[in-house]
Amino acid sequence: MKTLSVILAGAALTLAAGCGGGSSSGGGSGANAGTPVNGGTLLAGIPSNPDHLDPGLTYTNEGWEIVEATNNGLLTFRKAAGGAGSVIVPDIATGLPAPTDGGLVYTFHLRSGVKFSPPVSRQVLPSDFKYSIQRLFKINSGGVGFYTGIVGANAFAAGNASQISGIVANDKAMTISFHLTQPDGTFLEDMALPFAFAMPKGTPYKDISTIPQWRIATGPYRVTDYVPGQKIVLARNPNFTSWTPNTPNGHLNAIDITVGVTPEQSVNETADGQLDWYFENPPPDRLPQLQRQYPNQVFTSATGEIEYFSMNERLYPFNKLAVRQAVNYATDRHALLKLEGGQGSITENIIPPTFGTAYVKHDFYPYDPAKAKALIKSAGVEGARVAVWSLNTDPYPNLAQYMASVLNGIGLNATVKIVDASVYWDLISTEKNDPQIAYNNWSQDFPEGEDFIDVLLNGQNIVNVGNNNQSNADVPAYDKLIDQAKRMPLGNARNAIWARLDAGYSKTNAPWVVFMNAARIKYVSARLHGLVFNPTYYDLFPSMWLSK
Amino acid sequence: MFQFLIRRLLGLVLVLFAISVMVFVIFNVIPGGDPALRLAGRHPTQQNIIQIRKQWGFDKPLYQQYADMMDKLFIERNLISYQNQVQVIPTIEAGIPRTLSLALGAGAIWLFFGVVIGVLSGVYQGRWLDRVLTVLALTGVSIPIFWLGAVLLYLLTFQYHSLPIFSWIPPGGYSPIGHPLAWAEHLFLPWIVLAVVSIGFYARVVRSSLLDVRSMDYVRTARAKGLSSWRVLTRHTLRTALIPVVTLFGLDLGAAIGGTVILIEPIFGLEGVGQYAQASVANLDLPPLMALTLYGAFFVVIFNALVDVAYAWLDPRTRV
Amino acid sequence: MTLEAVQAGATPTGRGGVALAWRRFRRNPTAIGSALVLLLVVLACFPGAPLWVDVACHHGPAFQNINGYVTQNGHRVPVVANDGTPIGPGWRACYLLGADANGRDLMVRLLYGGRVSLEVGFASALVCVGLGLLIGMVSGYLGGFTDSILSRLMDLIWAFPVYLLAVALATSLALGGLAIGPLRVSSTSLAIPILVIAVVYVPYVARPIRGQVISLRRMEFVEAAVAQGAGPVRVMISELTPNVASMTLVMLTLIVANNILTEAALSFLGVGVPILTPSWGNIIQQGYNLIVTAPALTIAPGIAIMLTVVSLNVLGDALRDALDPHSKVRVKV
Repeated sequence: MKTLSVILAGAALTLAAGCGGGSSSGGGSGANAGTPVNGGTLLAGIPSNPDHLDPGLTYTNEGWEIVEATNNGLLTFRKAAGGAGSVIVPDIATGLPAPTDGGLVYTFHLRSGVKFSPPVSRQVLPSDFKYSIQRLFKINSGGVGFYTGIVGANAFAAGNASQISGIVANDKAMTISFHLTQPDGTFLEDMALPFAFAMPKGTPYKDISTIPQWRIATGPYRVTDYVPGQKIVLARNPNFTSWTPNTPNGHLNAIDITVGVTPEQSVNETADGQLDWYFENPPPDRLPQLQRQYPNQVFTSATGEIEYFSMNERLYPFNKLAVRQAVNYATDRHALLKLEGGQGSITENIIPPTFGTAYVKHDFYPYDPAKAKALIKSAGVEGARVAVWSLNTDPYPNLAQYMASVLNGIGLNATVKIVDASVYWDLISTEKNDPQIAYNNWSQDFPEGEDFIDVLLNGQNIVNVGNNNQSNADVPAYDKLIDQAKRMPLGNARNAIWARLDAGYSKTNAPWVVFMNAARIKYVSARLHGLVFNPTYYDLFPSMWLSK
Repeated sequence: MFQFLIRRLLGLVLVLFAISVMVFVIFNVIPGGDPALRLAGRHPTQQNIIQIRKQWGFDKPLYQQYADMMDKLFIERNLISYQNQVQVIPTIEAGIPRTLSLALGAGAIWLFFGVVIGVLSGVYQGRWLDRVLTVLALTGVSIPIFWLGAVLLYLLTFQYHSLPIFSWIPPGGYSPIGHPLAWAEHLFLPWIVLAVVSIGFYARVVRSSLLDVRSMDYVRTARAKGLSSWRVLTRHTLRTALIPVVTLFGLDLGAAIGGTVILIEPIFGLEGVGQYAQASVANLDLPPLMALTLYGAFFVVIFNALVDVAYAWLDPRTRV
Repeated sequence: MTLEAVQAGATPTGRGGVALAWRRFRRNPTAIGSALVLLLVVLACFPGAPLWVDVACHHGPAFQNINGYVTQNGHRVPVVANDGTPIGPGWRACYLLGADANGRDLMVRLLYGGRVSLEVGFASALVCVGLGLLIGMVSGYLGGFTDSILSRLMDLIWAFPVYLLAVALATSLALGGLAIGPLRVSSTSLAIPILVIAVVYVPYVARPIRGQVISLRRMEFVEAAVAQGAGPVRVMISELTPNVASMTLVMLTLIVANNILTEAALSFLGVGVPILTPSWGNIIQQGYNLIVTAPALTIAPGIAIMLTVVSLNVLGDALRDALDPHSKVRVKV
């Protein structure tokens, strides 16, 4: 998904999402050591409303972070940081099923005794899962795309069937089977996403974020109060008992989230003791001071994210491979890293380093402006007019200005076009507006190569509206490889293909200038411990605890 | 008088209608910013998008969409924002007390100081005090309001954060009832910023008005009769001199509530109508924009009408 | 000229209006002061900018030096540190006021940005006052139906909350540019903010002018001209224009001041001058995010704006006093 979470009202206020630096939780051993203490209310802040608090609809990091603490699915990603947090483990299901019938059928057994929160207060049944997935199609969820591979899903979506025939739920035997139209290695990942979390049968076919009696939880917490734009309060779910160590009972008694806190305010309030935790990174210009003054309270985590400029292969002058390669040679990635406050690490790869064997580092484009100029000359595009697009959230306009100066330096005629963050992603993914070159980022929906290479570079996924393949990259040979990989089960063989495609696209197609993996930085209060950053669910509330 | 009111009311309705059409046209003509796309979320299928268009009525002809929007805004009062699907009217209603707190408080400050400085300037006309105050007044008017807010905020919350009087507290309670001191504390900085840029203008108006009145016959008569300068000032000149000030104040207040707050509220994080307006324009979010523009225009026109009524009542010569 | 001289037969020399105005103006120290300040600002920005580049550090406003170094106290200091903090003001030729996040020289940008802000302010004021004059005159003189239409149009623009209208227009134009018939304006052109700012303030000019024209048209010299057979256009040009000239001139200065402030505000909201071209407003907009580590980026252009606008306001005030000490022209902007 895009990291939209930094959106805050207006141009000059928004402060960076871009932060950086490699390894998982650092920042002083003292803070995370010690025995967790139960109790207390976490004082939290968030810059703007999450898009939804409805597990079937929310598709932002803020939303997933909250929903992770309140709801559960058949499977989950291990509640750990870094690469360990990319492993799929059972949650409400009793085990990880191997697919049968040539990879087309997955059958799950549900454990008994998992209860919904009041007022529903009954056991979670297989039919609830069937209902939840069907509901996605009825509410036009942004996540339906993950489940269209189930037999009968499209017919149901079109209104030609009253249920999805490919989901077979047996409440008596506590089993549920999914029949797929073709083998899909990432199906298990899809089952660990919040879209597939359990909601009780009968949940209305609309956004239940603001309907308290339908905000039903299965996890350690539930949302007891939600005033959009003002606050979100999470309290303990009385019907929760921990059923695996992977789904722990939280330490905190309650979580009190204030909406509308700016990054600058969050730093002041945390220093004053009025805030324990803030959703965003601190503003990059405060970071050096914070790291010096409060080293035990600043934590850095790696994310599954890349930052890049996408070049449109259908538009002059980027329709020429030489030009795209030239831009790659002419870009000094260190400069871009500086502009993002040094909070991340340089990369050329399409796949992030947290993806295990799918990540094989390559270095095809060392900084070489002379070579770039030569390439531009040979392509005969000197003087071509280019508009570099970016959103207005700081520091991205600075990145675009840097890119413009790079392009001007190699002989093109570049200007900058800044668009407001809330419409930027829509605009650049609509063919009508197609930018020539645009700032882009992508952060994992789930930690697998398909989520990057298939979604962003498969020529068959190009659409006119809502297009994620903004380069319009279309290499039929690679498309075939992608399809092949998708059918394979998760593992090293599959990852090897992603690595091959990563190198292949970068070298022979150069659709992007990838420059950085952003890191997540947190500045928290002195009494907050137990911070665990999971690349999919983000900060895990159930693992946090407050010292006295 | 009655006719006058009716005419003004009719004019108000016409203006609001014209503005609503203008806003609707501008935002539907903008290339890009397709609300269906935004509502569809991150991984929309083409099916999703088509369904959303149907559900929200984006496939209907423009005049039909306009009528629907006006219906949702005024009659059914359930207009929803495209950006986050929150109801527009309650959000505006929640923001109005905060914006009013900001505008009225600042208004009181700038009126008071404007009059004081203007009177001083007028009484000592031509002398160095007058010249100094003139330059100061005009300086106030020349400061970019958002810049002043930003710089003050930086100085007082960051640089001098530790000094107790300067520890400005981010906004919290907005009601003066019950916690007037806390209310004033939260709004102190924004009041100062909004007032500074207006004091200068008022000082100038009071000054010139005072000078005009002082040269009038009845004042000279009062002087000739032996009344002290102070008495002459307070009982004769000031009252008349302040008439244009009062009318201007009405206009400015209307303009402030309707518009200028858009620059101040985002800086101080005051969740009033101004901040909502700025966010909505940035997001190209038509429903709240429509509501806010009409709300703003309404205030401007109403205050204008009130001012005209006040003028007519105070000064029989200009009765319409 | 003394009484004795007149009695001795000399013809008294009258002084014309302009000469009298100039004398009053000359005698006002704040007026002279502000005129000088304004002159200094214009000189610094127009011939001064390239002069500074030639003499001081030889890099222009677009030169991004993110990985560069400057020498300070014998040490090599990076222009932009690894954490993104740009260098601050210091007593050196290069980066006298420090650098911005992209490693550009603030002093140079300030000077070139001044050009843009002044151009936008002045051009938009000319368009605004020109249009306002035209509309006010036609509306006031012709009256009747034309007046109704034009007045309602003015009311409409004037009731529309200024910033909302400006931002709405600017956003829509900025995304796609402007295309009227054969006229095409690219979305990054300066013409867009100039046009938007001009249009939004036309009623502030048109209304007072209209009021003035209405009271003028009843006067004898107008009646005389009409009686002599002058058509409306002729009357407007030769009789009315000279009489609204002083009001127009004063308004021009005040509107320029106002427009410079508006340009800054619109840039702050993100819809003013497009960012690669510096203007005082968008330097503040970009610098605001770094206000804690690099306050000069925000403070310097703000001071520049303040200085220019104050002198314009003082000048306008003084002009009003000089041209017509009893005038009641107040332009609330």
